[in-house]
Amino acid sequence: MPDARARLAVAMLIAVSLVAFRGPLHGDQRYDDPPFLILPGVGLPAVNVGLMQDESHAPDAPEALHRVAIRAGLRGDDGARPAASFRPGRLIVKFRDEAPDVARLSALHDASTTGTIAERASHADFDVVHLSPDEDPVTAARLLMDRHGDVVEYAQPSYRMHTMFTPNDPYYASNQWNLPMIDLERAWDIQPAAGSSITVAVVDSGLAYQDAMIIANVPAFRDDQNRRYPPLGRINIPYSAARQVVSAAHPERIVAPHDFIWDGTSFATMPFDFDGHGTHVSGTIGQLTNDGEGTAGIAFNVKLMPVKVIDSVWDFLFGAPNEATDDVVARGVRYAADNGAKIINMSIGRDGPPAPVVEDAIKYAVGKGAFIAIAAGNGFEDGNPVEVVAEIASRVKGAVSVAAVDRARNHAFYSTAGPYVELAAPGGAIRGFGASGAVYQQTFNFDFTDTFLLPPAQYHAPRFDVMGYIPYSGTSMATPHVTGVAAILMQQGITDPAAIEDALEKTAIDLGVKGRDDQFGFGLIDARNAMFGLGLAK
Amino acid sequence: MKRPFVGTLALLMSSAAAPATAQGVFAAAPAAPSISLRPFVEVSNEKFLATRTFDAIFGETSARFWGGGLQVTVLRDRVYGEVGASRLLLKNAELVGQRVFISDGKVYKLGIPLRSTIAPLEISGGYRFHVHPLVVPYIGAGFGSYHYTEQSDFADAPENLDVTHRGGTFQAGVELRAHRWIGVAFDAKYTHVPGILGSSGASQQFAGDTQSSAQAKREKDLGGWAGRLKVVVGR
Repeated sequence: MPDARARLAVAMLIAVSLVAFRGPLHGDQRYDDPPFLILPGVGLPAVNVGLMQDESHAPDAPEALHRVAIRAGLRGDDGARPAASFRPGRLIVKFRDEAPDVARLSALHDASTTGTIAERASHADFDVVHLSPDEDPVTAARLLMDRHGDVVEYAQPSYRMHTMFTPNDPYYASNQWNLPMIDLERAWDIQPAAGSSITVAVVDSGLAYQDAMIIANVPAFRDDQNRRYPPLGRINIPYSAARQVVSAAHPERIVAPHDFIWDGTSFATMPFDFDGHGTHVSGTIGQLTNDGEGTAGIAFNVKLMPVKVIDSVWDFLFGAPNEATDDVVARGVRYAADNGAKIINMSIGRDGPPAPVVEDAIKYAVGKGAFIAIAAGNGFEDGNPVEVVAEIASRVKGAVSVAAVDRARNHAFYSTAGPYVELAAPGGAIRGFGASGAVYQQTFNFDFTDTFLLPPAQYHAPRFDVMGYIPYSGTSMATPHVTGVAAILMQQGITDPAAIEDALEKTAIDLGVKGRDDQFGFGLIDARNAMFGLGLAK
Repeated sequence: MKRPFVGTLALLMSSAAAPATAQGVFAAAPAAPSISLRPFVEVSNEKFLATRTFDAIFGETSARFWGGGLQVTVLRDRVYGEVGASRLLLKNAELVGQRVFISDGKVYKLGIPLRSTIAPLEISGGYRFHVHPLVVPYIGAGFGSYHYTEQSDFADAPENLDVTHRGGTFQAGVELRAHRWIGVAFDAKYTHVPGILGSSGASQQFAGDTQSSAQAKREKDLGGWAGRLKVVVGR
C-alpha cells in the first residue's frame, strides 16, 4: 500500500505539472506539444473487474467488425478486406546480394518513376523502397520481378497484417475448458518447470507489461460510418500491466521488448498493447498459474518477448509512424530470432498475394532454432481464403499453421480450412456455446479502452488500467496453445524446431476425416502425449 | 566384450582339439556316468540386436545377466539338456533409461525415467564332443520364454508393459573340466525373441525408419549375441 500511495502521489504530481506548464488536459490541441509521451513506471496497478461475459471478441461479433472497420477507415482503406490492402507509397524489395548498387538503382528506375531506396532498417535483409503515394506498388513490383530477375530476388507491396481473432486460477476449473482439452494437467506433471528456460516471442499487438502514464494528443477522426469524433486534445491515459502475466515481483520475465509500430521513435522499446489481443495471447502462453488468482497459462514460467507488429486504433490516433505491414512483421520475426526467442507466436496473418518477405523471415527464424506457430485464419465462412502466412508454415519444417476447435472438439465455425492446416487447438466459439465457449485470459476491459465504438457524443478518453478475464475466440487463441506446449516440449529436451513440429503432429489426436485433413490438419494437439514420448517397446 | 571371449574360446578349442583328434573324437570320458545331473550358475554379457533402440533409451547396447539352472547329460555325457533362468545383473535387475522422441533419426531424450526387466527361462539341448578328457566342446539349441517388463514414470497402467513371448536360442562353446566335480564352460549364445519389440515405442520407429530390412528385423528382436561363462557342478 505505501508503494501504491507513493506511485499515486508521483502520478498526481506529474499530472499537476502538466496542467501547470502545458495547458489544459482537454480541449484544443496544442500542436507544439509532443503528440505522444509514455512515462513508464508511473501509474497504479490495474483495477481488476474479474470474469466478464463479454461476447464482443468473437470473429463474427458486430463490435469486432466495427473495430476492424474503424481501423481500416483511419488508414484510408476503401473498405476492402484489410488483408488484401497494402500501405501506399512503399515497396519491399530483396535485391540479390551480388547485384551492384548501379544495377539496383537502374532496375528500380526502370520499374518506378518515383522510387528511392530507404536506409535499411534493423532486422531486415531486404530494402524498403519509398514511392509516391500515387504510384501503384503492385505494378512496380511486377515490373521489377519480370524485367530484372537477375537483380531482384523478390519484390512485393507492403501488405498489411492483422490479428487472427477479429476483434473479441479460480477461473481455471470453471472457465478454462481449453487447457484440459489438450491434457495439460498431465503434461504439467511431467514438466512442472513449464518452460522456465525458454523465451517465447509474441509477435502481436504488444503486451500490457508495465504500468505507465501515457500522454497523448488525440486528433479528431471519422469512423467507417463517416461519423466525426471530436479531438480529445491532450489527455493523460493511465496504463497498467496485466499482473497475471507480469507480476510486479518478477518484471525480469520480460525479455527484449520491442515495438516495430513505433520503431524509429523513443518508444520503440516499449511495446505497449493498446488493443488487448497481444496481452490475451500472451496470457494463454504464460499466464501466471497456481497463484490462486485468475486464470492459468500453459507454459507459465516462460520468459516473454513482446514484439509489437500490429497496430491498433489507438496507435493510429496517438500518431504511430508504422503500420502492420509485411515488412514490419518480417522485421519483428527476425528481431525475435536475433534476440534469443526459441518459440515465436504469430496469431496474425492476412490473405491475398504471397509474402516472400515474411517467408524469408520465417525461414530465417527457424534456421536460428526458433519454432513458430501461426494462426490458420478465421475466414472459413467468409470465402475460406488462403491465409498467406499460415500457408508458409506448411512449407517450413519447424513452423506450423494452427486451426481452431470449439468446446465440443468440432471444427470451429470460423476456422479457415485448407491443405496448409497442420494442427488444431482450442480456439473456442461463442456461437452455440455463449461466452463460456470462448478462451478466457486477462486483458483490458474494453468498455474502458474501445471508447471509439461509442457514439461520438459519448466518446471519451480511454483507460488502459481496468483489466478483466475476457472471452476471446479465434485461431489467434488456438495458436498460443501450440506455442505454450512447444515451449514446454523444448524445455523437455526436444530442441529442434522441426522435431517439435514432428512431435506435435505425431502425437495429435486425429479428428474429422481419418488421417490429415484440411480442417484439423494432423489433429488436436495433446500436450501430454507429446511430452511422454516413446519407450523401448511401448 | 564379445571379441575377446570368442578369441579365447577359439584358442581353447584349437589347443584342445589337436590331442583330442589323436585320441579319437567322440571318445567319452571313461569315468562319465550314463546320466548326470549338473546344476550350474552363469553370468553373461549380451549384445542386443536392437542396437539403435537400446542405445536411444539406455545409452548402451549390451547388458549383463546372471542366472542358473540344471543340466542333464546322458549317453555318457554326449547329449545334454538343460533348463536355465537368468535376469539382469543390475540393481533391482533393471535397465534404467529414459523415454525419448525420435525425429528424422535423431534422438531427443525427454528425462522421463524408464525401467525395463528381461527375464529369460530357456530350455535347450545339444551334443558334447569329447575331444579331450578335460575339454568338451558343445553345440546346442533350444527355446525359451522371455518375460519383459517396461515401466515409465508418469505412465498410466496401459502405457506400461508386462509381457512374455517365446523365442529361440543357439549356443556353441567349450567346457573345461577344472576338477572332477567342476567344469567351467564358455559359450557364445544367440537368442531370437520376436513379438515384444517393434509394434510400438522407439523400436517401432527405428524399425520403420531404417532402409535395411535386416536392420528393421533386428530392431524388432529382443534377443542378441551373448558371451556366457558357466560354472557346472557335477561329473
